[in-house]
Amino acid sequence: MATEVAQPAVNLIEMGRDLETQELEAPGGVATASIYGQLLAVYLYDNDMQCKFLWKRIPAAVKNTNSELGHIWTVGQKMWQRDFTAIYESLKRDWSEAVKPIMVAVGEATRKRAFHLISQAYSSITAEAFAVYMGMSVSDAVQAAISEGWQADPQTRLVTPKRPVPPPDPKLMSEFSCKGNNV
Amino acid sequence: MVYGKWNFAQLCDFISKSGDVLTKNASHLDNVLATLDIQQHSLGVLGILCVKYNLPNIPDFETLFVQTQEFILSCNGEHVRYATDSYADLCHKFTQNLIERKQPIRGIGILVKAINKIQLFSAQLTSIHSNLCQLCLLSKALKPALQFLDFDITDIGKEGGHYDTKDFLLYYYYGGMIYVALKNYARALYFFEVAVTVTSMAVSHIMLESYKKYILVALILHGKVPNLPKYTSQVVARYIKPLCQPYHDLASSYATNNPVELRAVVSKHQEQFNKDTNMGLVKQTITSLYKKNIQRLTKTFMTLSLSDMANRVQLSGPQEAERYVLHMIEDGEIFATINQKDGMVRFMDRPEKYSSATMLLQMDQEMQKCIQLNEKLKEMDREIAVNPQYVQKSLGMHDDDLPGTSMKGQGY
Repeated sequence: MATEVAQPAVNLIEMGRDLETQELEAPGGVATASIYGQLLAVYLYDNDMQCKFLWKRIPAAVKNTNSELGHIWTVGQKMWQRDFTAIYESLKRDWSEAVKPIMVAVGEATRKRAFHLISQAYSSITAEAFAVYMGMSVSDAVQAAISEGWQADPQTRLVTPKRPVPPPDPKLMSEFSCKGNNV
Repeated sequence: MVYGKWNFAQLCDFISKSGDVLTKNASHLDNVLATLDIQQHSLGVLGILCVKYNLPNIPDFETLFVQTQEFILSCNGEHVRYATDSYADLCHKFTQNLIERKQPIRGIGILVKAINKIQLFSAQLTSIHSNLCQLCLLSKALKPALQFLDFDITDIGKEGGHYDTKDFLLYYYYGGMIYVALKNYARALYFFEVAVTVTSMAVSHIMLESYKKYILVALILHGKVPNLPKYTSQVVARYIKPLCQPYHDLASSYATNNPVELRAVVSKHQEQFNKDTNMGLVKQTITSLYKKNIQRLTKTFMTLSLSDMANRVQLSGPQEAERYVLHMIEDGEIFATINQKDGMVRFMDRPEKYSSATMLLQMDQEMQKCIQLNEKLKEMDREIAVNPQYVQKSLGMHDDDLPGTSMKGQGY
């Protein structure tokens, strides 16, 4: 199981599909706490609102015997509210082996999402506010910004993000241009 | 069994006439089942399972569950197409029993297989679709329904003439609710519109509830309620609209762009909205009004301070305004940048210039869809034009001295 989880991020999505099937085929319609826990975590990683519905459908008996499920969901709730401070705070836990690698990936994905959002939404942001979004100390956050080519002014304590470069336009597939010629 | 001598249609007839005999011998049905092979005797097994579901009480549902599951997984698709009505009936009863036993999630995987097996192509709607959507909603496992909902329907399985309008309406109503839950409002609006605009002579409660949700989703998505298409049945205007006054009030107060007025209407009709279990959607219309008001500002201003924005759209202060703008940027609902140095927002044009290769490919895909739809329409038109009932009726409506005038323009 552990080796499965340790693989790169793309496989988390695949793993999620697998877990979904396992849940649907669970005897009596009730899956194990470990299936629920991992699936919850994978949905968090994908920032997928299915997370909310999964939490709602986990039977109370399973929730009561496995308190970790509740902790995973707390992260989901904070993501739902887009409360970055609280997301990073709720991620700081000693997770069980089964979900630990996924939760680490959730933290990384959240940081990536925050970084992208700031670069899109801010022409300047205070170093403190930026650090909150990144879930880092101010000095680490500023370092991260500089290493991405952003500017940070130590005097004003303002970070100036670089706007994201749009992905290059894909070359038209030859199939497409051929079709155009034939018509 | 004497399959060789009979054809399948006769066999179906025989089985449906044997219902009474089988019911009287209910205690032996499992023995009979044991003698049949699911692949080879699919119709026989189907007949017996249907009888078992129709018994006044089901002594051992777990056994029946497993039998149904095995049947759906391994029955012969070609055989059961001769009895699509019984096949659908089996799925309905199966669904009903799972709902009564509060175990809706157990049926989802099986119904997905059941639909895949009986559908002739993915754009064909069966009455089992609505069962699947219902189970998904009840169990809150919405994802499995999307593989069907995301496909546009262009055909309905006849199911031996047993396909019921109710199943059609329910499919679009439940489907709309699933899309609402997943916040795919554009698709949800389309689903509710289909339910509301179905040709009808009488009011259906499903249409009524769809209309209420149609209004709410339209407000959230477009900030206004579009006119229903011309082909909408008269019952909507005559009977459904008068029953939805609170919703019309909500829409008119939304149109004032004033959140205070909107909130007043919400609290005035709170009871009704709660009773209709639409309060969640109603609350989202309030959020959407703030967003629409912010979007409107982009038409007037190039830059605006966050506190000025908060005043203009009646938010609590610059912080709340910043949060709104940030969320809207992330969701692609606005193009702007926030400058924390001076607390200003700068509005920008939509970056899409409609000149990229990606856009061209997307256009091409959309055009392909339109071409396919046009083909489908032509095909359906031809089918109707040669339908004997239609020909008879449309000729009857003409004067005798105008025989065979073209059917163009008749009722379309």
